[in-house]
Amino acid sequence: MTPAPLVLDGLVVGAILFSLGLVGILARRNLIVMFLCAELMLQGISVSLVAWSRHHGDWGGHVLVIFVLTVAACEAAVALVFVLQAFARTGRLDSAAWQSLRESNLPRTVDHELPAVDVLPLKFPKLTPAGVEPSVDQDALLEREHV
Amino acid sequence: MIASVLPTISPGTLLAGGVTATAASLWLLLPRGQSGAAERTSRWLGTLLGLAALACFVATGHRLGGLGEEAVFLIVSLVAVISGAATVVTRSPVYSAIWFAMALAGVAGVLLVLGAQFLGVATIVVYAGAILVMFLFVLMLAAPAGLAPYDRVSNEPLLSAVAGAVLLGILSLSIGRLTAEPPLCCRMPSKTAAIAGNAAADPVPAASEAGVDLLIENHVARLGGELFGRHLLAVEVAGVLLLVALIGSIAIVSRAASADGTVAPARRAVP
Amino acid sequence: MQDIAPSTLLVLVPLLPLVAAILTVALGRTLGSRAHLPAIAGIAASAAVAITLLVGMAREVGVGGSGHDQPARPVEMVTTLWEWASVPDAQAAGVATATNLSIPVALRLDPLTSTLLVIITCVGLLVAVYSIGYMHGDPGYPRFFVLVSMFVFSMTMLVAASNFLLVYVFWEAVGACSYLLIGFWFTKPEAAKAAKKAFLVNRVGDFGLAVATFLLWMTYGTLNFHDTVLADGTTMPGILGVTRLADASGYVGGVVGTAICLLLLLAACGKSAQLPLHVWLPDAMEGPTPASALIHAATMVTAGIYLVARSAPLFVACPGALTMVSIVGATTALVAALIGTVQNDLKRVLAYSTISQLGYMFASLGTGTLLGFTAAIFHLVTHAFFKALLFLGAGSVMHSMGGVIDMRRFGGLRRIMPITAATFLIGSLALAGVAPFAGFFSKDEILASLHSRGWPDAHGEHHEAVPAGGHALTAGSFHLVSVTPDAGQLAGGGRGSQLDSLNHPSTWRLLFWMSLVTAGLTAFYTFRAVFMTFTGPTRVPEEAGRHSHGAAGSAAHESPPVMTIPLVILAVASAMSGWLLFNSHALATFLAATPSFTAPSVASTATPPAFHWDLAIQGSLAAAAGIVVAALGHLGKRSDGPQMERFLGPLETLFANRFYFDQIYAGLIVKPLEFVATLSAVIDRYLIDGTVDLVARLPFALGAVVRHLQSGLVQRYALAGVIGMLLIVLALVARAMG
Repeated sequence: MTPAPLVLDGLVVGAILFSLGLVGILARRNLIVMFLCAELMLQGISVSLVAWSRHHGDWGGHVLVIFVLTVAACEAAVALVFVLQAFARTGRLDSAAWQSLRESNLPRTVDHELPAVDVLPLKFPKLTPAGVEPSVDQDALLEREHV
Repeated sequence: MIASVLPTISPGTLLAGGVTATAASLWLLLPRGQSGAAERTSRWLGTLLGLAALACFVATGHRLGGLGEEAVFLIVSLVAVISGAATVVTRSPVYSAIWFAMALAGVAGVLLVLGAQFLGVATIVVYAGAILVMFLFVLMLAAPAGLAPYDRVSNEPLLSAVAGAVLLGILSLSIGRLTAEPPLCCRMPSKTAAIAGNAAADPVPAASEAGVDLLIENHVARLGGELFGRHLLAVEVAGVLLLVALIGSIAIVSRAASADGTVAPARRAVP
Repeated sequence: MQDIAPSTLLVLVPLLPLVAAILTVALGRTLGSRAHLPAIAGIAASAAVAITLLVGMAREVGVGGSGHDQPARPVEMVTTLWEWASVPDAQAAGVATATNLSIPVALRLDPLTSTLLVIITCVGLLVAVYSIGYMHGDPGYPRFFVLVSMFVFSMTMLVAASNFLLVYVFWEAVGACSYLLIGFWFTKPEAAKAAKKAFLVNRVGDFGLAVATFLLWMTYGTLNFHDTVLADGTTMPGILGVTRLADASGYVGGVVGTAICLLLLLAACGKSAQLPLHVWLPDAMEGPTPASALIHAATMVTAGIYLVARSAPLFVACPGALTMVSIVGATTALVAALIGTVQNDLKRVLAYSTISQLGYMFASLGTGTLLGFTAAIFHLVTHAFFKALLFLGAGSVMHSMGGVIDMRRFGGLRRIMPITAATFLIGSLALAGVAPFAGFFSKDEILASLHSRGWPDAHGEHHEAVPAGGHALTAGSFHLVSVTPDAGQLAGGGRGSQLDSLNHPSTWRLLFWMSLVTAGLTAFYTFRAVFMTFTGPTRVPEEAGRHSHGAAGSAAHESPPVMTIPLVILAVASAMSGWLLFNSHALATFLAATPSFTAPSVASTATPPAFHWDLAIQGSLAAAAGIVVAALGHLGKRSDGPQMERFLGPLETLFANRFYFDQIYAGLIVKPLEFVATLSAVIDRYLIDGTVDLVARLPFALGAVVRHLQSGLVQRYALAGVIGMLLIVLALVARAMG
């Protein structure tokens, strides 16, 4: 027999999403990105479950996906609190900032080959300060790209 | 379509190529502390390789016949997979989150095509509407100015990429084997018999074809009935879990704040 | 005194010095310069009790009565204080049934013990009194009296103990006291070294006693001297108990018996400074002179004599071992006398004389006759008096001369210290064996006992053991054996029967002549010392005035009365005791009642008391020759002038270096041991420690490699987990796919 249409495709898509999420969890250092990747893994699971449910023609997979959604929400709530706390302590969202579990006589692992910052810091538009109108060079004003 | 171009290549070779290409492309795409031209080159290369890998997986997967449902599936799944990959490899966490939203949309599409209308909508509503927004809030609260150094390097990129690709290969292999013969490792008593198709007299395969229609008809009502019928207890437990998570988050936040000294000393529970 | 039981009195003898020692320890600092009071009081009371016991014992034995004709009956009294240790159902090899190994703290009283108790306590008392003057002002004044009291306690317990294990305990205790007294001035390196040497050399002998004790237990199944009544009413015969003594076959001979006897002899050699183990005694003169007088002249060194005399029946059962005792004794006597002739240190002369006289006693003990045993004890008694006298006299000289003891540095001292000179002369006469003095009689008896073995027919005696071996050995081979007694002792356990063949009249004749020569040498070196010290031009070393005011030399003076009175008492004893004891035959009769001497094998050798004119003349001639030669060389001459030794030629070097005993020991024992120790240290430090360190470093090195995995980065941990999971799944897939 052949399985129901698209079941295998759904499983493959689920596997791909799961694997991508796993790679992200393992490789990315940003705590929030890590959690995004975890959610991605959950998505992969959800797709697989639905595919299996389609294969078997029952509701188990659907129900499980609903619970996955629930657990993901819980996880996000708690994990984000932890992330915020971690950020409050270290000032960064770096998973490598937490190394207390290492051997006591090992040096701290630090990034040795940090790249030179070639990307300019993101520029956000700023409002001019309120108060006395600053003296503005009118010629310069004319040359501004955006107002 | 693509598979018809490559009729001579065996599925095994395709799978191996796909796995290798996946690993290489992920490795190339992951932030490795590069900059400038090298980064751009590896990004392009990675993208190309990733597309090739996708092609391989599409080819090893189901032979897509025409348009219709399967074409839609192909498109939404491609959206989901590409967006997911972008989520993983994008440097900026904000863009990562936005890519994740895109992946969610793709996944919702996949779920819809697979006959889970309610879940597709729920995914959009719950994830994109609630969870992802929460992520973005936190990002805006916590992200430092500019691109942080730890966003530009990865932890063991090569090993991680290879591990992920190998896992993908194993999973694909298992899935591909479903049609022929189930591997021993996942041979399970009743279900595998149904999948393996060696039991012609088994009534379940017949129900499988009907099952698709079964699930589509009167979908949400029956899902609700199933959920609050057989799985009522689990629903209650999930509700409790949500409550606990809610209270837990609040407790953690308030205790940590008092530990910082910014808030008044530890509160006592009101008797 | 009548209402106090003798057992109580017997316990008091060791107890009083012990109490004195404890009191002095507790109150020493408070008493300060009066720290001698407890010791003097304790030892004096102990001496009084000992004399009371002796009198009571003499009355019991019936000394002075007409008891010579009938064989003496054993007299003993045992007081068991408490059970020290008990092992039920111990199995000894020589006994058929399992016996109860019980070690009672039992004290005994018999003629031998009571005699020695009196000697120990009386000499101890005199030495303690003398020490009041001699040790005055010493920073360790209380400590000295603690040690003297402890020594008297240990020594009295040693001679009163009625159990071989108890004897061993106090044997060690006496050795410890001796160690502490030799090293009394422990800040002096020589004293500390001498103490260490004495202790270590004594250990060799102690080892012999320990092994002998084990063998005795294995052979006889008990360690008690006395018979004990067991719980079931049967009597357990003690080793020296009346039951076993009466039994003609009660004692084991052969290899085992000889081994026991030779081990006991080894122990006695250690404590009594006999030939292979004599090297510690001369060095022990580094201790305070009263300690030398007390321990290394009068009492402690007699412990070996006591042990052999006490074990007399054991020895008599092994003629070879008995002969060996005599050979060791006579050889020691001769060698020590030869060394003594060239010593210039007054105390060392006396030390070698002590060794020599102890050798005499051993030679006498080795004859195995009742006469020999009693003669040895007789000589022990007289020797205790005159040797204590000589030592205390030497101490008096040393005290007066500011610590100088080299005879070449003073002379004519009889004008400065007449009492010391007179008493010293009396002691010397006694030691030399001049007619009316004590040494004459005791030495005569010893010579008589040796003579009786060498020429049995002349004495009308018959010894059943004499023609035992039937080996026709020449005198030359006897001589070889006699000069290497240590080799014989070491291998003796294995050839007891061969040793028995030594028991031959020609051996005894040789020993007799050796003893006679020794007598002459004794007279020579004694009077050489007397002439060098007390005659000639008056000279005083400059150190003499150091401890008092006045110019150098002018402060040399006679010692205070507290020192001279003991000298006088001892001089009287030295002069009178020999004649008194010999003439009345009191001591011989008294000692014959000692249980050990009532064994049939010993008692059967009893001879009617006689004065051997021929031997007396020979001994006197030898002594006279020695004195004349000494007078020719030293009388009235400057003591730092040319010595008699210049006639000796190369022999002088041999004697002055004490037959190179110390050098031989250093070369044969110390150097190899040091080498082995160094080797062991190197092996321990580098091989064993190195191996252990390697074992310790191996996990460390492994850990150093693996430690880097513990980076603390959770993502790496997760990666490792995923890789592990993948490996497992891959393995499963591989297996599933064949």
